Amino acid sequence: MRKGIVLLLLTLLSALTYSYTNHSDQDPYLLTDYSRLHPVKVKRIVKGQETEQLVQVVRDAAAQGLKVSIAGQRHSQGGHTYYKDAVVVDMTPFNRVLAIDAAARTVTVQAGATWADVQRSIQPYGLAIRTMQSQNIFTVGGSLSVNAHGRDIRNGSLIKSVLSYRLLMADGRILEVSRTSHSELFPLALGGYGLFGIILDVTLSLTDDEIYRLRVDTVSTEDYIDYFRQNVLGDPNIQMHLARVSVGPDHDLTDMYALNYEIAAETEQDPGLFRLRDNEQWVTPAKALFQLNRLSDAWKDTFWKMQLKVFQGQDGELISRNNAMRSDSDFMETQEPGWNDLLQEYFIPMDEYADFLRDFGSVLKRHEMNLLNITVRYVNKDDEAELSYATEDMFALVCLFRTPLSEQGQEKFGEGIQTVVNQVIAHGGTYYLPYAGYPTKAQLYAAYPKAETFFRLKRKYDPDELFYNGFYEQYGVN
Amino acid sequence: MNIRTLIRTQSIVTFAGGFIYPYYLLFLKNLGNSYSKYGLAFAVFTISSAAASQLLSRYVDRHSRRLMLTGSLGLTAAMLCFPWVMSYMAVLVLQIVMGMCNAMQRMSEKALLADETEAGNRGRPIGDYHFWTTATSGGAILAAGYVIDYLTINVLFNVSALLYGISALLTWRRRMNEAS
Repeated sequence: MRKGIVLLLLTLLSALTYSYTNHSDQDPYLLTDYSRLHPVKVKRIVKGQETEQLVQVVRDAAAQGLKVSIAGQRHSQGGHTYYKDAVVVDMTPFNRVLAIDAAARTVTVQAGATWADVQRSIQPYGLAIRTMQSQNIFTVGGSLSVNAHGRDIRNGSLIKSVLSYRLLMADGRILEVSRTSHSELFPLALGGYGLFGIILDVTLSLTDDEIYRLRVDTVSTEDYIDYFRQNVLGDPNIQMHLARVSVGPDHDLTDMYALNYEIAAETEQDPGLFRLRDNEQWVTPAKALFQLNRLSDAWKDTFWKMQLKVFQGQDGELISRNNAMRSDSDFMETQEPGWNDLLQEYFIPMDEYADFLRDFGSVLKRHEMNLLNITVRYVNKDDEAELSYATEDMFALVCLFRTPLSEQGQEKFGEGIQTVVNQVIAHGGTYYLPYAGYPTKAQLYAAYPKAETFFRLKRKYDPDELFYNGFYEQYGVN
Repeated sequence: MNIRTLIRTQSIVTFAGGFIYPYYLLFLKNLGNSYSKYGLAFAVFTISSAAASQLLSRYVDRHSRRLMLTGSLGLTAAMLCFPWVMSYMAVLVLQIVMGMCNAMQRMSEKALLADETEAGNRGRPIGDYHFWTTATSGGAILAAGYVIDYLTINVLFNVSALLYGISALLTWRRRMNEAS
């Protein structure tokens, strides 16, 4: 009898687990990206190993009339790394660091290497990356393809630190691309979302690894612009900056805290501080607290206070540039079936910042959107990339939303995002293209006036549209 | 130790094992880029268990409960160490220790099962034993999936350590009771 009950309970628990995980975003035979949206069947996934092999993959796909999509860590969220029935080139094994020139402060690295790989190889030479995302988990090739930016406030977007790269074209040729060689291609494939070819390797300009002192300030969203101009941008010692906006009901987009990294005094440059820190601390409690944050608005205020306290406790701590560029992310991971946390990012001209946040707040309420986190970074004007987002000095608001992945849930969420993007455009801003494609085609062309040229040139360099992905299908196809 | 106590303590052991085992294999897989490296980490465990059996066979008749207790304590220690391991070599060492503990557990459980049952009349108790130890393992595997989704693999290691510790405590208390 007891055994029968136990077996029944186990069967029920198995059935419950089956039903709980029975969502298309959990199907192991379909491919998607970090968003888990739009899973599809691909023809095959090919691991990038050698240059000659990649050339052959491209030629074979062209001969067979197949499309090619290029994937790194697949952290972009708008279908940029795969396409239905396409050959997906997984670049992650193509990850060697090819050369480090300590005197010239450059590194040449294969596109599948992660920033963590690069940091490990350049740190012993006392070198650090100029511009990358706040986390080091992404591949270099993926970051180049989205022209990433990060905490650094002095070095522009990633394209600025690129000296040259080799690009495998749709016809199988390999081009050496720089500002002087095949210069038209240079600003196209960087921030090119995998549409111009496979970036094989890249030479990046580096800077010195140095020790920073973390300074934590609190400021209201109204005062942030003045604070930033005077205390951050106006202080030449500050090299990196990141701020966060409160999202809880008691502090509805009103409060901020800022993390500033200022160059520490010579006497504080302890060699031990340069050692790379690999272990993310306190993941379990942070993950549990962040989960509560997802489920309850009331917790957002509590989480905000706790997070602020943790950072205030770190005020004055010393940290190397390389270590400041390998921020924690494990605690935000979620695999919940049918739900995900998705990023959207808005670039707002500096003077419009406070006004935009007011309008943003009312859209969030009207559309009942569950916003978990906003971080604010600064990007200085850098319009070299064809699809440049920093058409002037901007604040980048990286917004993390929790959203259902069901068709109905997505439709409702998408409407909310489209309303937000209308506000962004009305305030003279742009939005970031690596994230899920909720904005309409008209919105993309309004935010990126050069988009038409970008997609026309894609077809010039790849007339058979061999390099193809969900992003191109949605926005670029004629 | 009667058969009921044996079933109870070993069900806790299999629960702890079920809780960590499938996910721990993934943890091992992530250590190396190649399956051969993963294979080595896993094989070291079984080879160590095989080697330990030849030494332990001398003691299993007289000291099976003590071996079971030592095995549980060793597994508790190994589970507590895993989240802190930062090198492949340390993983191999832990795998060797765990292989030895596994041999202590498996050999003493077989000896105790034989001691507590009679030839020709073993079907039912062995059936009970198998049912409870595998059913608890199944429940543990299902529960652990949720724990790792919402928390981290380190929680699994810690819970497993706690469960192995409890099984050690129960075995020890039974030994004390039987001794007094």
